[in-house]
Amino acid sequence: MSLLEVRHLTKQYRGGVLANDDLSLDVRAGEVFGLLGPNGAGKTTLVSQVLGLLRPTSGQILLDGIDVARNPDVARRSCSYQPQGSAPLEGMTPVEAVELTGRLRGGDKATVRRRTEELLTALDLDAWRGRLVPLSGGVSRLVAFCMAAVHPVRLAILDEPTNDIDPLRRRLLWEQVRRLADDGTAVLLVTHNVAEAERCVDRLAIIDHGKVQVTGTPAVLKERLGGALRLEVSLDVGVPVPRLPDYLTAPAVAGRRLVAQTSLADAGRAVGWARDAQSHGEIAEFQLSPASLEDVYVRSVTAREEDADAALLA
Amino acid sequence: MRHFWRSYTLLLRWDFLRRRRILPMIVFIQLALSVGVVYGLAFLMPDVNGKSALYLSTGAPTLSMLVLGLTVVPQEIAQNKLTGRLDWMSTLPVPRLAPLASEITYWLAASLPGTVIALVVASYRFDFGLQVNAAVVPALLLVAATSAAVGYGIAVASPPQLTQQVSSFVGIGILLFSPVNFPAEQLPAALQAVHRVLPVESMADIVRWSLTGQYVAHPATAFAVVTAWCVAAMALSVRVATRRR
Repeated sequence: MSLLEVRHLTKQYRGGVLANDDLSLDVRAGEVFGLLGPNGAGKTTLVSQVLGLLRPTSGQILLDGIDVARNPDVARRSCSYQPQGSAPLEGMTPVEAVELTGRLRGGDKATVRRRTEELLTALDLDAWRGRLVPLSGGVSRLVAFCMAAVHPVRLAILDEPTNDIDPLRRRLLWEQVRRLADDGTAVLLVTHNVAEAERCVDRLAIIDHGKVQVTGTPAVLKERLGGALRLEVSLDVGVPVPRLPDYLTAPAVAGRRLVAQTSLADAGRAVGWARDAQSHGEIAEFQLSPASLEDVYVRSVTAREEDADAALLA
Repeated sequence: MRHFWRSYTLLLRWDFLRRRRILPMIVFIQLALSVGVVYGLAFLMPDVNGKSALYLSTGAPTLSMLVLGLTVVPQEIAQNKLTGRLDWMSTLPVPRLAPLASEITYWLAASLPGTVIALVVASYRFDFGLQVNAAVVPALLLVAATSAAVGYGIAVASPPQLTQQVSSFVGIGILLFSPVNFPAEQLPAALQAVHRVLPVESMADIVRWSLTGQYVAHPATAFAVVTAWCVAAMALSVRVATRRR
């Protein structure tokens, strides 16, 4: 049975903005569930409703089978939250902030102290544990994670937990996120970082314009691309984006980087085209590799935008 | 009740810890404000007689609590709204009244040294003796709780960018147009009528009575009025704070 069930959730703000539109998903105990989507997709609105801070316009959110809209207290008892912005750390040392949060969540002094030490050590934060000076953005986010993880809860909601964190501690953080789930907590991970999500999540949903575009495990979602390959091309400065043949589909350009999809059958032709373009100076480098979750993400988000463009032209 | 007490003491600890660096400055400002009211307002009156002096001196604690509750607390809450602290606190499993109670206690404790010293200074400056009775504790608690609850409600209900303007407006209104440091008879009839509805005069009355044992005709009624306002303001503040958009 799912721990969190979101059923046909719609949230329309007073100004008329439709933030969530008939959205459904479920998160099970012991899994890391990724919630991916571009800015303004409706992720934070969904999280605020799960936490009982916003009231749904229609639909249901069930936590352990209990309706959160009718019983917002159940969300406060069952959920811990790492906000996307800064956690309330001002004037506090990391040890004080984490211990007080654990105790406010109902933990006893000795257990909370032990768990605080464990988390700070696991995330290599010992050097900052008693510091009152302003902490860097990355250290603040790690402490905010500790505040969300210090006391066992049914659902931990982590909003962009790895922003500003250095690569080594980022790895340590993912280990702790995994451990939370292994201990039975359902983890709802809100992120833009698709590459990291691919390594860490068990299942995910990509939402855009308030709707779930796709949901499933990373493996299943990649399979749905049709066993596709991705051709990644880097361009020299000042060189225009080359015209692509029709067997290179769903192109996405980010800076000097171009990614397009192709099928296994067209792999030879794609490499031939890339070599030819490279020899003519149209592209700098290229790489053909199996499709990634990023390709699923780009396709899910851009497909909807293309649909909208088509509708406007029609 | 046990859950409330536990949450309240932990939140209070949090409030003291996070402001430990600025606490001395807050205490100093409260002290300067209270003493300043006693000394400064006396400059506006060429002949301060015994009654005026007593009103000035015993009005200072009430004024200090009102300024605290209606200007300092709303500005603090507005800041918490802007930084996301208020939303984060709302996700904690604590009783709804506990954060408000902790906030009130903190500011009451921060202002208490100033209040006491201002009274001592005033009794020397104007040469009169105080007759403090046991009602001073509930009187100060009620005044602080009522004004902070109203201030909390204003801050939670209004956009943070507007809170400073609203709280400054309320602060000036209380300082100049409320019968705290002077008798209500000195106000125009219209303002007297307004203050028959508002609790400010009753707040000043219960503090004055608890410090002097006189100058108030019906202390029990004044206590009842302030208590009723306190309960209503707290209920409304909690209602506004927990209302979901």
